[in-house]
Amino acid sequence: MDSLDNIFLHPTRRDVLRLGVACGAAGLLCGRRNVAAQDTAGTGALEGPKLEGVVRHEARHWESLPDRRVKCLLCPRECEVADVERGYCGVRENVGGRYQTLVYGALCSANVDPIEKKPLFHYRPGTTAFSIATAGCNIECKFCQNWQISQFRPEQVPSVEVPPQKLVDSCKAAGSPTIAYTYSEPTIFYEYMHDTAALARQQDIGSVMISNGYIQEKPMRELCRALTGAKIDLKAFTEKFYVEQCAGELKPVLHTLEVLKDVGIWFELVILIIPTLNDSADEIRQMSDWVVKHLGPNVPMHFTRYHPTYRLTNLPRTPVSTLERCRQTALDAGVRYVYLGNVPMHKGENTYCHNCGTELIHRVGMQTTDNRIRDGKCPKCGTAIPGVWSQDQALAVTSRPAEV
Amino acid sequence: MPFSSNRREFLVQVGAAAVGAALGGPALAQTSKPMAERPRPRVVVGRDEALAKGEPAEHAEPIRKLLDAAMQRLTGASDAAAAWRTFFQPANRIGIKVNTLGYSTHPVVVDAIVAGLRAAGVPAENILIWDRFDSELVRAKFRLNKSTTGVRCFGTDADRVGRGYQEQVETNGRIGSCFSRIVAEQVDTLICVPVLKDHNLAGVSLGMKNFYGAIHNPNKYHDHNCDPYVADVVSHRFIAPKWRLTVVDAVRGQYQAGPGRSPEYFWPFGGLVVGADFVAVDAVAADLLEAKRRDAGLPTLADENRPCRHIATAGARGLGEADLKRIERVEV
Repeated sequence: MDSLDNIFLHPTRRDVLRLGVACGAAGLLCGRRNVAAQDTAGTGALEGPKLEGVVRHEARHWESLPDRRVKCLLCPRECEVADVERGYCGVRENVGGRYQTLVYGALCSANVDPIEKKPLFHYRPGTTAFSIATAGCNIECKFCQNWQISQFRPEQVPSVEVPPQKLVDSCKAAGSPTIAYTYSEPTIFYEYMHDTAALARQQDIGSVMISNGYIQEKPMRELCRALTGAKIDLKAFTEKFYVEQCAGELKPVLHTLEVLKDVGIWFELVILIIPTLNDSADEIRQMSDWVVKHLGPNVPMHFTRYHPTYRLTNLPRTPVSTLERCRQTALDAGVRYVYLGNVPMHKGENTYCHNCGTELIHRVGMQTTDNRIRDGKCPKCGTAIPGVWSQDQALAVTSRPAEV
Repeated sequence: MPFSSNRREFLVQVGAAAVGAALGGPALAQTSKPMAERPRPRVVVGRDEALAKGEPAEHAEPIRKLLDAAMQRLTGASDAAAAWRTFFQPANRIGIKVNTLGYSTHPVVVDAIVAGLRAAGVPAENILIWDRFDSELVRAKFRLNKSTTGVRCFGTDADRVGRGYQEQVETNGRIGSCFSRIVAEQVDTLICVPVLKDHNLAGVSLGMKNFYGAIHNPNKYHDHNCDPYVADVVSHRFIAPKWRLTVVDAVRGQYQAGPGRSPEYFWPFGGLVVGADFVAVDAVAADLLEAKRRDAGLPTLADENRPCRHIATAGARGLGEADLKRIERVEV
């Protein structure tokens, strides 16, 4: 029972925890950044035989072009891909005019994480998320903390094949109420995420997408039928940053946020604050104003601390005072729940009632140590606190149909 | 976003050029001279009508003779062995980068190159034929050899011998990539053997584009007709200073719908394009493809929104000569 394959074939709680521990240990060995940073992957410690080659599965959301070319319609990049070539993500390949995903169930990372690590602070606090990833990403952030998997192609990263039901079984065995599609960019393993989330929902397991939000509206709405929550990175509030630092675009991400709002699914925002690049008072003010106006005051914002990594190593860690200033700016703009990330023990990790200011959830690092919310309400003033506080609530049909 | 270099990128490029010059690299060393002062690079287009018929594998001897003749014209040497010795010494560890994605380099062309190297005194063990994957090499009918004897042949992904990609990201201009350990650590001299073929985004896939097979993330660098990314890849210290010779396999070409195989656009050119200035070779080969497209009634690559920007950029950066008027094109 030492191989990862065996773990996924016949998972026991002990097996799953061992896998998580192994991956967590790898994270610790990889350097200090993995200790504190939110949602870093445990890479390189997956046990079991390496998947030989790649798995192949028919992709969704593409159309045919002349000369056996295809146009991908999954993300806003809309890659036009010739026969034998791959899209920007590196995990979708044109094979004779048919588009295939090469990562359906090809997991390169798996951990049992606190849901707070995603970070999701208003979604089943104190529970765990069975967190998985495949190789690949549809953008390239120069500050990516998981670049060893997100910026590689599937055949370059040791992986094991885990069909959807096997993953759901593993999640159950771990005692996790939620599967998190995370670490790299789940948009690029869309088909696997979609099928697994749909299967999991039928078996009372929730699914949260931890994403950059760089996805087209149609697949996003389709996916929302199966998801129970999402966390979206809002990398900055300028196109310049998105283009120069991420090889992406801001506008489609904002549109995704509006789609999520329209669908009615629970989601939270993370903004990694990088000194001099996206930390100006004006930018944070404009971003916060946009959030309140377009998404409402109840969408939590997490301002998290940057650490030098990957291709962006010439800037210092974000000063805590900068994060505190961003938090205050968002609060002043009317956002009700604003957090600090990657700053353990800071009061900005805690949840306070937006009506009476009572501390509702106390957190240390990525762990909830005290949760006073009762039936989704503040125990002192009775105000309903926005979020997902029970599995029934997570699995309830969203308030508005996710029409495609 | 405009693709002009900022100050930092400019300094990186200048630094890379200086390193290349210090190492005696033929391409980057040229950057020390203004364009007008450089000698016109010679590119040899060798062609034999007999090669256009039958299967390429049937023409081993004519291909070898054609290549040797092209090498003599390229160097002015009196015999073939001397021509090969102009570029290669017995102590060199030579990597022959073939192209096995889609329409592939023919092994018979590589066999002719190996014969030339052997004639120049290069031990077989010092020659390595490589690409990204073992599987693609096999599909292209190369015979893998991972032993320590004879001419070796394997992919970057080959267990133990290919050893994958370096762990550190190398930044050069706009690219940030991990390079194949083969090109980074195992060879000190490069021969590039691309195929004369079309590319749906870059316009053409020739010598320079072929080195996308040396980085772990080529999928990230296809925007804007692969420009300036191709020039960023080949100007890296692992490539340009080591690159001695390009032999474009033009025994068969493909002038549309590349890089995948599209038999309806096959072109039995029956030849080779050979040169030491890798930008000039690409410029001449691209011109051949454009001429064929005109003959076939197809639009120019620029009219299909896929101009060969990467060749122009490489020329503008001084990596070689991209101006056809300044290239000495000779035929054998």
